[in-house]
Amino acid sequence: MASHHLTAGHPGSISAVERYLTELAAQLLPGPRAARTRVLTEIRDGLTDTIDAHLAGGMPPRTAATTAIHEFGDPATVAGSFAEELATASARRTIAAFILTGPLVGIWWLLLLHPAPWRGGVLAALIAIPAIPLIPMAIATAAGTFATTGRLMRWLPETSATRALTAATAIAAICVAADLTVLGLLSTHLATGRQYPAPLIAVAATASFVRIAAAITAIRSTRARRAQLPST
Amino acid sequence: MLPMRPELLKGHLDALLLAVLEDRPRHGYAVIEAVRHGSQGALDLPTGTVYPALHRLERAGLIRSNWEIVSGRRRRAYQLTSSGRQALSDQRAVWHQFSTAVTALLTRQPWPATT
Repeated sequence: MASHHLTAGHPGSISAVERYLTELAAQLLPGPRAARTRVLTEIRDGLTDTIDAHLAGGMPPRTAATTAIHEFGDPATVAGSFAEELATASARRTIAAFILTGPLVGIWWLLLLHPAPWRGGVLAALIAIPAIPLIPMAIATAAGTFATTGRLMRWLPETSATRALTAATAIAAICVAADLTVLGLLSTHLATGRQYPAPLIAVAATASFVRIAAAITAIRSTRARRAQLPST
Repeated sequence: MLPMRPELLKGHLDALLLAVLEDRPRHGYAVIEAVRHGSQGALDLPTGTVYPALHRLERAGLIRSNWEIVSGRRRRAYQLTSSGRQALSDQRAVWHQFSTAVTALLTRQPWPATT
């Protein structure tokens, strides 16, 4: 098969494939880099194999390339067919990012606002940190979306990319709500003269401001992605 | 052979892909060839669109993929998982039931040809 190796030199077919891939890359939805790279690599491999099969069947190189490209479908069609997958991948990544970094923000607020040790119980914790109920809300939304865009798709109704993106937006919004709640609470406490260790305040507030900025960026980009999805 | 509309195929693509992976793992191009060959050319769809269908099946845990060296080249090869095998046998049963019903109806009352 070495004589049919594209890399062994069929400049015409190589450049046709490269042009196709460039156009496909331009039309693919933005998504996680790994997911996009995988798409482009697989399409390149598939085209190469198809061209090889045509060459082995005796087609001239240039015709082999154009025939293979024609069989694959025009870049817009192929890019469109990947839209749901890429959007779902980006929704899942956004959700995972907020859930996994949640404890990194929450821990500082827990240290800062936790109720006095002699006041145990759920109610005391809720009064001290009213953002706590938002945590199970975010986790439940994340778990539901992960399950219905993943392994549990066989048994549960599949979540569309649009809905997965909506869930990602909701989780980012919950994070903003939680951050604003604790920041507001802290400023009220500080205004009433309560004392807190300054480094802890600095770390907790920074973590929340960073997360608010990240959440706003995520909300904007998921909204843009949702608008780019073909309406089905 | 009459051409088949891609919409007709869409709902069954999952089952077809699982079926061609039943006997052994295949890489993308081999999957496409197996579908085309197995259907004697009746199933004609833009082959580029088979890949997202494979990715979705992988996300659902019905197939898994890994890089393999095929005749000196690195290719992503897909194989059925045990849930994939189960899903395939479920879909076979559903298809059998469906096709029996449709065949029965269509052969008893042939529709007049439309223009």
